[in-house]
Amino acid sequence: MSAKAEFFVAALDDLPPGERRIIAAAGRSIGVFNLGSRIVAVLNICPHAFAPVCLGRLGGTTLPSKPGEFIWGHDNQILRCPWHGWEFDLKSGQCLTDRRRLKRFPVIIRDQAIYVEV
Amino acid sequence: MSKPQMIIDTDLHPVPIHEQVAEYLDEPWRSRYLRGDHGAGHPNLYNPNGVMKSDAVTEDGRRIERSPETMASHFLDVYDIDYAVLNPMESMEHCVSPDAHYSAAALTAVNTHFVEDWLPVDERYLASVMVAFSNIELAVKEIHRLGAHPRVCQVLLVSGSPFPLGHSYFHPIYEAAVEYDLPVAIHPGLEGVGIAGSGGTAGLVANYLEWHTLLATSYMTQLVSLVVEGVFQKFPTLKYIFVEGGVAWLPALMWRLDKNWKALRSTTPWLTRPPSEIIQDHIKLTTQPIEEPEDRNHFQQVLDMFDAEKMLMFSSDYPHWDGDTPDFAMRHLKPALREAVMYRNALDLFKLEARERVG
Repeated sequence: MSAKAEFFVAALDDLPPGERRIIAAAGRSIGVFNLGSRIVAVLNICPHAFAPVCLGRLGGTTLPSKPGEFIWGHDNQILRCPWHGWEFDLKSGQCLTDRRRLKRFPVIIRDQAIYVEV
Repeated sequence: MSKPQMIIDTDLHPVPIHEQVAEYLDEPWRSRYLRGDHGAGHPNLYNPNGVMKSDAVTEDGRRIERSPETMASHFLDVYDIDYAVLNPMESMEHCVSPDAHYSAAALTAVNTHFVEDWLPVDERYLASVMVAFSNIELAVKEIHRLGAHPRVCQVLLVSGSPFPLGHSYFHPIYEAAVEYDLPVAIHPGLEGVGIAGSGGTAGLVANYLEWHTLLATSYMTQLVSLVVEGVFQKFPTLKYIFVEGGVAWLPALMWRLDKNWKALRSTTPWLTRPPSEIIQDHIKLTTQPIEEPEDRNHFQQVLDMFDAEKMLMFSSDYPHWDGDTPDFAMRHLKPALREAVMYRNALDLFKLEARERVG
């Protein structure tokens, strides 16, 4: 296993909340998302059918509720895979409806710039 | 083949004694009933067998299903059946009638007839409280009238409905049923009649073979609707019996529903766990007409794909043309399933007392 390295993503000012960058790092495609409260990085492969999950829509979702009731939540935190629509909570990487999760990478903020450790 | 400890038949078809039913009706309904108005009619499709078994007659030529005494002596006694749920024929047709007032009155009289004139004849009989779709207030009133009767074991609806049964229009029926801790059962046969939909969503089919085969699609519709509309979240104690709708389609439908839920859960946020889990906790299926693939082992494999030991209940459908006798059904069940399916699931669901087998 090769040693981990840091890869530059963007200047902090260039990735406002709700935005993403998809970078190539150590031969992998990685999506870096600014959720507002934090910046996260995940492997751009859906664990279900290996789709480029990071191309999916980022937004909120409906929270568990009673029949006929709709409560919106987790805004800017849920990534929805473009292929089969599986929802992933980017804070944990966990799929909301399956035991599988997105592979996450550490994000480093230094000197007003974003790096990901791969 | 060893006999199970008990046998409970969850789908037996008596025909009411119409003169006795009429005694429970006031005018203007009484004379209408006596003139032979038994609801919205039948699908106008030809079954060359007739719907009733032609050999279900006594030695002196009377139809067995038309009297509580002969039904007991010529069916329950013959097959050693310990309990049987009465799902009345020449009556369910009222459930899909557009005429709310007459159909509710007729069903009230039919329900009373079975409670008053059949249950006392034989302790093995269990009655249903059967209600129509056209007026939910009247349906609820009837459930309240009979729901507490100790030998009324279920609310009986038909599987052909004006729109799918998960819709909130039907929820007052479920609310009343759970108040008496009664399961709700659906029975097929009125698809495409009166105010009922055609069953299959592609429209009406041309003949009885198609219609009877596709009754299973009516059950798929009802199952998906009930689960997805959140009926079992709203009524967590409700159990639903799918009578005579087939078995083998269930695993495939569960897989498809779970797969879609994984992507579309946000449209139904009350589904906080896979739909297949909800189905297996709330739905019971009756066995007849049991599927008979060329290789019997294939059916055994299907039974491994869902919680058959918890969900399946034996039914005979006697005296219908396609009925299954207890020994026939048992031959299609591996020994490990027989006790659960032949009686234990129904015993638990209907909270019946176990009966000792003598001899």
